[in-house]
Amino acid sequence: MFEDIPVDVSPMYEGERIRSANMFVELAGPKSIGAELVQVEDDVEDGKVEVIGPNLNEMKEGEIYPFGLLIEIKGEKLEKELEGVIERRTHELCNYVKGFMHLNQRDQIWCRVSKEAKDAGFELEHLGKSISILFKEEFPIIEAITIKIFTNKEDVETFLEKANTAYEERDARARELSDEDVDVFYGCVMCQSFAPTHTCVVTPDRTALCGAINWFDCRAAAKMDPDGPIFEIEKGEVLDEIKGEYVNVNTIMTDRSQGTVDRVYLHSVFGYPHTSCGCFEAVAFYIPELDGLGIVDRDFKGETPLGIPFSAMAGQCSGGKQVEGFAGLSLEYMRSPKFLQADGGYERVIWLPKAIKDSLIDFIPAELAEKIPTEEDANSIKEIRKFLRENNHPIMERLKAAKETIEESETTTEPVEEEYSADMEATPEIEGVPMAQVAYTPELSLPSSGGMKIIFKNAKIYAEKVIIKRK
Amino acid sequence: MKLKLNYIIYTNNGEYLVIIAVSGKGGTGKTLLSSLLIKHLSETGKDILAIDADPDSNLPEALGVEVVKTVGDVREELKVDTAKGNIPKDMNKWDILDYKIMESVVETPKFDLLVMGRPEGSGCYCAVNNMLRKIIETISSNYDYIVIDTEAGLEHLSRRTTQNVDIMLVVTDKSKRGILTAQRIGELSNELDISFKEMLLVVNRITPDNKDLILKKAQETGIEIVGTIYEDGEVAEYDVEGKPLVELSDDSNSVVAVSKIVTRILNSN
Repeated sequence: MFEDIPVDVSPMYEGERIRSANMFVELAGPKSIGAELVQVEDDVEDGKVEVIGPNLNEMKEGEIYPFGLLIEIKGEKLEKELEGVIERRTHELCNYVKGFMHLNQRDQIWCRVSKEAKDAGFELEHLGKSISILFKEEFPIIEAITIKIFTNKEDVETFLEKANTAYEERDARARELSDEDVDVFYGCVMCQSFAPTHTCVVTPDRTALCGAINWFDCRAAAKMDPDGPIFEIEKGEVLDEIKGEYVNVNTIMTDRSQGTVDRVYLHSVFGYPHTSCGCFEAVAFYIPELDGLGIVDRDFKGETPLGIPFSAMAGQCSGGKQVEGFAGLSLEYMRSPKFLQADGGYERVIWLPKAIKDSLIDFIPAELAEKIPTEEDANSIKEIRKFLRENNHPIMERLKAAKETIEESETTTEPVEEEYSADMEATPEIEGVPMAQVAYTPELSLPSSGGMKIIFKNAKIYAEKVIIKRK
Repeated sequence: MKLKLNYIIYTNNGEYLVIIAVSGKGGTGKTLLSSLLIKHLSETGKDILAIDADPDSNLPEALGVEVVKTVGDVREELKVDTAKGNIPKDMNKWDILDYKIMESVVETPKFDLLVMGRPEGSGCYCAVNNMLRKIIETISSNYDYIVIDTEAGLEHLSRRTTQNVDIMLVVTDKSKRGILTAQRIGELSNELDISFKEMLLVVNRITPDNKDLILKKAQETGIEIVGTIYEDGEVAEYDVEGKPLVELSDDSNSVVAVSKIVTRILNSN
């Protein structure tokens, strides 16, 4: 198949790097310009390869040249949406060609041709020919393929413009990609060395807690390293679309947590929130007094309205634990329209550090942006309540509604009601003696016996005096 | 990120890749040995990758090259870009990292250099380190020899970042502490069951007067002594002036001593 190609073409050359000491020329890369683009077109002449601009034999050894690679394809079943998926394989397929190095994608490619390949008589047509065969082999739905290679600065510049427009359109589509659009989610257990019961579920809407890998990264990783720590989860049956509960996700969770966690909601901090590793970028935490959510990120050094800093909170809800009212999350997840959608999304957020608010400002609904206080506006429950009321945050409606319902049913068990009606500092005072909060814990089990277990959730312990004595 | 080379057996040319690591207490001469090793190997016309894995080292200076960006810098850059949402969703971070790491490699006609750089900041590095490990493995498989200047002390062993090394060269000088560290490196790799193909001791900075005494002490480490380097006024001078050690002339004492060591190691391999 590759008889007329003067160099070997095989998957074994994947990962080939050409040292500058061994290279004939460099194409595109950090010191020049370049791009690659796959386009579905109506009129494509199959097998045509065109080099526009100087070919290798007209290039000078050791020099760097601009490089554009346009791949036009046609096929009955080919759609515009597939361009990105097909283009993504260019890196891999180009690397099959011995003596041709290819890195990265889009307008960030970097290629080199080895001296050895040049000496063997390799030309850019050979690259074009090889990849046109490989693409058709990989994607039988491609019926016709034409390769155009540009090496002139002006041509590459024009091509870059065209490519950038295509990338932008594609990015807009990718941003819109949501959990409903895919059949596969991914699980990641990279953090199990220190959080043995934690599995991160990565979906188009929900980036891994560490923020480092999104759904697209997982797709690449699972393919590259199928036995690695990132694996596919068939989406399967949906139990609750809003909360984000899936049969298969629950099964995987049970499996990978050795039975510790058997249910998770991907988009809620209540009920069965997603477990947290310890590396999350931020934590969403429930503020019971105001029935709202606070968000705090790793870089925020002060104390949260709960009276503890990020580090202390992270310590309490990490390690693969499922702690209701707390969920580790990535900043990217806060850009998703599904961001804690079961809890009300941004309408439920009543406090977050200024730095993240600023960085997410385009993703916070415009009518809410001014209504959510940061550490510059309010730091205690009292201050937050005041701010929310003055700025007419939707949570006030919620609190009022909750209060009315409760009054109607005449129950007083809801902390929301007590706090709201009391309209006072969260810190209780007894006969004028201020009580200091000495401990805060999202979950506290008391030693007990007789077949009973007492667990306090979201417990706050207040004391008039704390005495520490040496035994 | 700690470098971890796994499963590298053959290079892309189908030849055997040899990974040599240099370890020892800080200040005993790791960088001297590493840079002269690289100097000698790069004369062979083979593809050499030098890896500076010591955040506190000065291998680039000893090799006379300038480093623009370290792996640590690339890692931080990617973290910042990710947090700010600067990376198009559809582009995968492996490819971006791959490119950036390739960019951080200092390429010279005789050898390439990869500098690991600063240690991690706060936050989670699991994912990025996992990717980096694979990328560096891929890069590494393109060379004939890899020389790693490890960080001082024992941590590279306990973190198992050097477990796939073929030849572990431990350097000590005449100091009691240098010898003690060497001994611990030997003991710890036994305890952790890390079996280098060879573990050899290089004794640096000896003088004709103390040679016998030092060698006797060095023998007590239990590591086979592969060579000695004499106290070298020229090296000290280069250090003071900040001149690259690779520029030492071929007949300088230290260069000759290291060449002998290389020949001994490679012949026995």
